[in-house]
Amino acid sequence: MKKIKLTIVSALLLSMTYSCSDEIDNLEPFTSVNPIAFLEGPASFQTAVDGMYNQIFGYYSSPGSALQGIPDILSDNAVLVTTGRRSNEVYYDYQYTAATGGAIGLYFSQAYNAINISNIVISQIDKLPEGDTRDNILGQALAGRALAHFDLARVYGPIPSQSNNAISELGVSYIKVEDGDVDFDVPTPIFPERESIGSNYEEILEDLLAASTLISESNSEGRLTRNGVFGLLSRIYLYLGQYQNAIDSSNEVSTAIATQEDLSSIYIDATNAGIVIELSVNTAGSEANFNNVGVIYSQGSLDDAGNITNTISEYAVDFEFFNSIDDSDIRKGIIQFDSANGDAEHNGIRKFLGESGQVNGRLDIKVMRAAEVLLNRVEAQFELGFEGQALTGLNQLRELRFFGDDLPENNDNDTTNDIVFIPGTETGQALEDAIQFERRVELAFEGHRFFDLKRRGESIQRSTFGDLRDGTGTPAEVLTLPAGDTRFQFPIPIAEINANTNYTQNPGY
Amino acid sequence: MKKKLTLLSILLLVLTVQISHAQEKTISGTVFESEGPLPGANILVKGTSNGTQTDFDGKFTLPDVNSSDIIVISYVGYKTLEIPVGTQTTITATLEADNTLDEIVIVGFGSRTKELSTSAVSTVTGKDIENLVPSTSLDNALQGKAAGVQVVGANGRPGQTAFVQIRGIGSLSASTTPLYVVDGVPIDANDVNNINPNDIENFSILKDAATVSLYGSRGANGVVLITTKKGKSGEAKISFNSSIGYSQRIPDPFDLFDAAGKLEIERQFAELGVTAAQSLPGATSSPEELAELIALDTDWEQELLRQGFIQNNSLSISGGDDKLNYFLSLAYSKNTGVIDRIDGFERTSLRLNTSYQAKKWLKVNTNISLSRNTSDLPRDRNNVQNPFRALYDYNPYEPLFLRDADGNIEVDENGDNVFNPTSTGFPIARALQTEPEDNRNFLIIGSLGADIKLSDNFSNNFLVGATSNRFNRTNRSLAGGVLQGFVGDANFPGTQTDNASVDLRYNVTNTFSYKDTYNGVHNLQADFLLEYIERIFTSQFSTSRGFPSPDIPFQDVATEAQTAGSNEARNRLFSQGLFLTYDYDRKYVVSGSIRRDTSTRFSPNNQEGYFWSGSAAWNISNEDFLADNSTISNLRLRASLGTAGNQAIGDFQFLDLAGFSTFNGNPALIPFGLGNPNIQWEAQRTLDIGVEWGLFNNRLNGVVDFFQRNSDELLLPRPLSLTQGDQNNSITTNVGEIENQGLEVSLNYDIIRNSAIKFSVGGNISFQLNNEVVSLLDGADIINGNTILREGEELNTFFLPRYAGVNPANGAPLYLDQNDAITDNFSADFQTLLDGKSPAPDIQGGFYTDFSWKGFSVRSDWAFQSGNYILNFQRQQGVAIGNIDSNLRTEALNFWRQPGDTNVLPSPLFQATADQTSTRFLEKGDFLRLRSLTLAYSLPSSFTENLFISSLRIYGTGQNILTVSGFEGDPEVGIGSAETSAPGAAGFVAGAFNLFSYPQTRSYTFGVEVGF
Repeated sequence: MKKIKLTIVSALLLSMTYSCSDEIDNLEPFTSVNPIAFLEGPASFQTAVDGMYNQIFGYYSSPGSALQGIPDILSDNAVLVTTGRRSNEVYYDYQYTAATGGAIGLYFSQAYNAINISNIVISQIDKLPEGDTRDNILGQALAGRALAHFDLARVYGPIPSQSNNAISELGVSYIKVEDGDVDFDVPTPIFPERESIGSNYEEILEDLLAASTLISESNSEGRLTRNGVFGLLSRIYLYLGQYQNAIDSSNEVSTAIATQEDLSSIYIDATNAGIVIELSVNTAGSEANFNNVGVIYSQGSLDDAGNITNTISEYAVDFEFFNSIDDSDIRKGIIQFDSANGDAEHNGIRKFLGESGQVNGRLDIKVMRAAEVLLNRVEAQFELGFEGQALTGLNQLRELRFFGDDLPENNDNDTTNDIVFIPGTETGQALEDAIQFERRVELAFEGHRFFDLKRRGESIQRSTFGDLRDGTGTPAEVLTLPAGDTRFQFPIPIAEINANTNYTQNPGY
Repeated sequence: MKKKLTLLSILLLVLTVQISHAQEKTISGTVFESEGPLPGANILVKGTSNGTQTDFDGKFTLPDVNSSDIIVISYVGYKTLEIPVGTQTTITATLEADNTLDEIVIVGFGSRTKELSTSAVSTVTGKDIENLVPSTSLDNALQGKAAGVQVVGANGRPGQTAFVQIRGIGSLSASTTPLYVVDGVPIDANDVNNINPNDIENFSILKDAATVSLYGSRGANGVVLITTKKGKSGEAKISFNSSIGYSQRIPDPFDLFDAAGKLEIERQFAELGVTAAQSLPGATSSPEELAELIALDTDWEQELLRQGFIQNNSLSISGGDDKLNYFLSLAYSKNTGVIDRIDGFERTSLRLNTSYQAKKWLKVNTNISLSRNTSDLPRDRNNVQNPFRALYDYNPYEPLFLRDADGNIEVDENGDNVFNPTSTGFPIARALQTEPEDNRNFLIIGSLGADIKLSDNFSNNFLVGATSNRFNRTNRSLAGGVLQGFVGDANFPGTQTDNASVDLRYNVTNTFSYKDTYNGVHNLQADFLLEYIERIFTSQFSTSRGFPSPDIPFQDVATEAQTAGSNEARNRLFSQGLFLTYDYDRKYVVSGSIRRDTSTRFSPNNQEGYFWSGSAAWNISNEDFLADNSTISNLRLRASLGTAGNQAIGDFQFLDLAGFSTFNGNPALIPFGLGNPNIQWEAQRTLDIGVEWGLFNNRLNGVVDFFQRNSDELLLPRPLSLTQGDQNNSITTNVGEIENQGLEVSLNYDIIRNSAIKFSVGGNISFQLNNEVVSLLDGADIINGNTILREGEELNTFFLPRYAGVNPANGAPLYLDQNDAITDNFSADFQTLLDGKSPAPDIQGGFYTDFSWKGFSVRSDWAFQSGNYILNFQRQQGVAIGNIDSNLRTEALNFWRQPGDTNVLPSPLFQATADQTSTRFLEKGDFLRLRSLTLAYSLPSSFTENLFISSLRIYGTGQNILTVSGFEGDPEVGIGSAETSAPGAAGFVAGAFNLFSYPQTRSYTFGVEVGF
């Protein structure tokens, strides 16, 4: 009896000791992988590159802080709607500090997330056999790394063209695996210092120029291409004041400018006409709950018939800006719609309302369109004194946006009463103003205005009109941001200052 | 074997005798203790299930007794008496108070008499918590009951588990909650709310190294052992307890504006030129319009909240004989909570505990508990979707329903009143109905065990325990509802997401024991432990949209399935341990333990951790020189030193990991976690010195403990530079050491103890002597929002810009900059460590008074804390100038108006600098709260006998009915806002701030308890 009991107990003890020790060693993660080991073969590399795009899409499309929208809120294009949730009011009033939530932290962290992935891809690229596929992946990774650093540099640092000493001021850290800034063989925490703006832009150009020789002419929707790389170069050269390079780069972009017919379809994602760089979202499928960028401007509701019944606008089109656009300009109706929140009527922002029949704000991000590339070229030509070429280019875009015989009131077969496009004839200051106005209208609410004013070293001067459709209501609390104000550079997020003692805060914060 | 035969023959003999003397009679009698009759004493015929209890007068009657029987009279705290019946028909017995040292304490992997324990253990019995509202999660019941056990109600949400910290914060990592073990089965702290409080026999809280070291890697935050009730030999005891009651929000110690007041402050702000106020009705309305608005005056608390309804029913049946005992219980409890328009929290639970002496050497035990709870309470967030924020935010001139031009309530096409979206644009009252969220938890806790007695000296205990919690959540957004309008897809009306997860944890525990006595005075016990624990967590979710009817909450009917996912997580722990105890003649006790844990949480090089302890106790009152001392009835000293570990970090933190998302429908690799292959066990070393004493037959007794705990190699997600590009922005690291010193005192005094009146008081108090950061990696501060970890400073000291009042000349708010200079600027860089101000109290505890006279009793339980600070974000929101479009506290009117004004809020013209987070909103969190007050009456047996029941008790309890505090809000703050900073998330500090979480409630319940 005693023996049986002892045997049972001993067997129990022994079997537990051995089998359990084994179990401890046989456990692996379930839904995650080692990022370096995962990279085997072209498909996995493209998956990593898409991870990089995912992160860039993240900060361009965040419904609270989209880089597609914040620069307009920071500028004179938008007016805060007092019946909204007052989202981003701190930004609108230029009252942000290093501890302010939203855009300040988001851009910094997600741009570097994208950079990290591009560095992982670049560090492992030799695992792929030489050839077009490898070149295209490396080209995308280099171009993505440049784009993310460019966004960081222009948000947190001055833009080279904005002042004489900008290039020697503090930029961001350009994290480049080739330079040993980060090591994926023995991953360890890094605590880099800030580099100069001049050095940042040098490295941005270096990456983009390398990418331009590697990347494919076309890639599937949402991915960077050769056109995209040269489009970016045209903008960056403009930011650097290297006007001939800007012209040369824009001439490399073959994308045709969206026609008048296509233009409104772009903002319901019915066409990609005229788009040079896009970050896409697949609203039909698994990404139906991804970021809805339009929420940064408004949230609407529809009745059963699909009509917009009520719109909680966060921001509306500035009254003065809206009325400065001629009625014959097709863009007037693309920028604005008559919105109302209860009794309060506003000039609602139409771009980014949603796909056809939707008001959910879920749309592809338009990082760069061919019209901008043209405007980059025109501005560069003007700066170099080629006013004739600049005016020709400007008129080319104006004509495309001119709303002629289709005006509702004379939409008949009688061509004699059509308004005819008359090309502009401006020169000098008037031409420069016209170029900037065209740029403001064409690119309105797509995340450009703040950077355009900033890079040109101008002040932000808001109108004194209120938020309501008729110009009454509450005007902006802060009407002017003087040229050279430190608020043109975002503060470095407090999280970075706290985690990385090597990182210096911007002046004024 | 020979012995067994002898026993068997005696048993047979007894049976035969019984049969032959089947002459039965009824025995009656009275049981006394030294000062009067003893009610509730157990009377049992030995070896049978025939038994009863003494009534209030100590009297009993027991039928069917034979003269050969032996009557066993027992009562907790008294020596058991055995009386042969013989020819007696009446028995008068007096029970002697037992030396309380024989009290059994549950110490983990077994129990021990208190006399032979070398550990600081606090015991809380089921009786101590019986008066609390049962839908309160169990852990809340421990508040103020035991020294060194800090319990903060996380919030007032029905079913919400509490924050339990034993001896302060001993870890920086997410988890500082103790390990919960129910009848030998470790359970998740979040599942504690699914246990029926009526099933609890006692809690045993292990605090020092002598016992927590036995739990090795999981013991660092202390261990709460929960023992559930067992059947006692005797006839089945049936007990039924039913109560109903109501709850309400505890009133705020401040006022909000009414319509007239709010309109007036809007007018004043607008007049001063505050832009945000210009378009508000107070500024723009004509006198007639103002009058209309004032007439709409709405108390939003009335509109959004209600009196919560509380109902509890529980039934238990227990009994047994000398081989089998059982305890069966069934309970239902409901607490609607105070939010109107939803159902609230419900729980149904069932338990069966049995134990069977299968053979003389084999006992098998089975405990099983099934319970299910449902809740449709909204999630705890800080935005327009939170009713507790809405009741402060909504303007009092905005009524619940929209009014048309004539001032009548607007109705929709169905004739229903149209909810007012209010100036926030989000009608929460409607959203609670159109955005329902329904959570269900089904928890099974089961254990099977076998005690094998191998010989007189050797025994083995084998236990397999498992807990399985099935969680389901249905989250819907109904077509036409509040959110659908904004985020829905017009072509697919209505969305629904279902989440399901199964959290299975099991343990296999074997304890092989040896016990012997040499020369009658040397007692030795040795236990060898093997334990294997695994957790398997699986989850799925799916989302569909396009619902034909809001009445069908199933995705089968949806027109389009959208997204779905599944996941799994596992971790394992294997342990071996050796525990030794030796005592010399019950005077000197020494214990030692060693345990090795192997965990999957660490890399193969670091996965083993060794934990040890040594402890000793001296029972001075057992020495000859105190043997006859009439004053000192108990005196003992004990000391322990040992280590425990903590591995409460995520799985696979030692690996570099990447997950997946998508980009434009294609898979996308997202690296999310930089791994740290060097992380190792967090190690704690605790020294505890205690003295336990009892005077005057233990009528006055107490315990004093001093402890010092050093927690080293603390695991913390260390913030990374954002330039690293790591999705988590942190790396788990062994960052440093903290030290924690405290003194705990508990006292109980039976002031009056006689037959008619009993009056006792008691309490406990814990002093936090020191809780400081000793060292951090590279000496670098770790800043965590508004708190900081810095070497040499108290843990989680507040780190805020310092407010310096209002400039009397112009009303500008003033701050102290980094150089201590007064400035009217504000910068986040002004953040300064505020010496000695942290969310942790310096002093905390609880006390009780218990008075009874005849059948009446009154008991009060109080909890208090002092020395902690809370960042009062709710007050900041309530006076923020920028919130002029929302309702404000009346305090907001007290702003600077003219030069020379002092003791005022900043002028509204300085919104930008005035609305900032600073020490202006840091307040002392001291409070004293009457946790519960219970009045009860037990009917005398003369009544109950006529009703054919054995006992009847009626009672009424008030919970949280009195609070004394200077805090501008409710001072009992645990979770600020779960979706802003969730318990368990990195950087969470309990009680650091309030931010519109579910408020604490006050409740009144009335009940009746019947025994059969």
